[in-house]
Amino acid sequence: MASKMQGSATKALVVEDIKVDCVILLRMLQKLNCKTTVAHNGKEAVDLFLEGKTFDIVFFDKDMPLMTGPEAVTKIRSMGGTEVKMVGVSADFGGMEAFMHAGADMFVPKPMKLETLDSMLQEVISKKNMSV
Amino acid sequence: MDYSNLRRQIFSMKKSLFDQGYLDEQFNQLEELQDDSSPNFVEEVVALFFKDSSRLLTNIEQALEKYPQDFYRLDSLVHQFKGSGSSIGALRMKNECSMFKAHCSDRNLEGCRRSLQKMKREHATLKQKLETYFQLLRQVGPRERAVNSWK
Repeated sequence: MASKMQGSATKALVVEDIKVDCVILLRMLQKLNCKTTVAHNGKEAVDLFLEGKTFDIVFFDKDMPLMTGPEAVTKIRSMGGTEVKMVGVSADFGGMEAFMHAGADMFVPKPMKLETLDSMLQEVISKKNMSV
Repeated sequence: MDYSNLRRQIFSMKKSLFDQGYLDEQFNQLEELQDDSSPNFVEEVVALFFKDSSRLLTNIEQALEKYPQDFYRLDSLVHQFKGSGSSIGALRMKNECSMFKAHCSDRNLEGCRRSLQKMKREHATLKQKLETYFQLLRQVGPRERAVNSWK
């Protein structure tokens, strides 16, 4: 699994309030050599971007307290976060429309497969390597 | 210790959990995430699931008993349960959550109550079976506990 960028690990933000889902996704990302950060709801994610933190890819759960995934996607895009790849995640396909309407790049139903995650990350890496 | 007999028991138990529909491929995915740096990953995640889901079941039960029923909130709680259940490969529970969500959508209170009872039974059964499975795994110890041995 080639998930390492030239010179730096892929920076992934996981925005998820459900512990089990968060732990699993973090483990998958760590297995794929990503540097990971966690936000427990959409507001925490937005705050990270307001602090100037940057990420290569962000995974948003849909339903979270304080601010939902789609709301956070809308907010971060409006703040100028247009380059970062945003992935909506939810337990069924019900959240797809909300995420795509908010400006997410893609939607994946839970549970995410490691192969799916790896190919997403490879796309991010290729894009970053091309722009270097 | 007779490891070959233990391994056979573990293999047989896991196969049975899959054949009877308690678990799906996602459980194998979890086992693939386990390695020397995280040798008890699956057991820890499953324990976390049962801790959180027990609380969720209580919340669902309380939400059902409120009047008037808030089917939107019920759906949201069941959706949460469905997400984390499917993340550990709990197939039967995931399927029952889908039924429950359908009852919420139809505002079918009796259907929701039946689904809750089924979810509680499936939850208790899976918890007991996985506890036995992990007990067996612990007997073989980390050295023997190579992920691919159990497939």
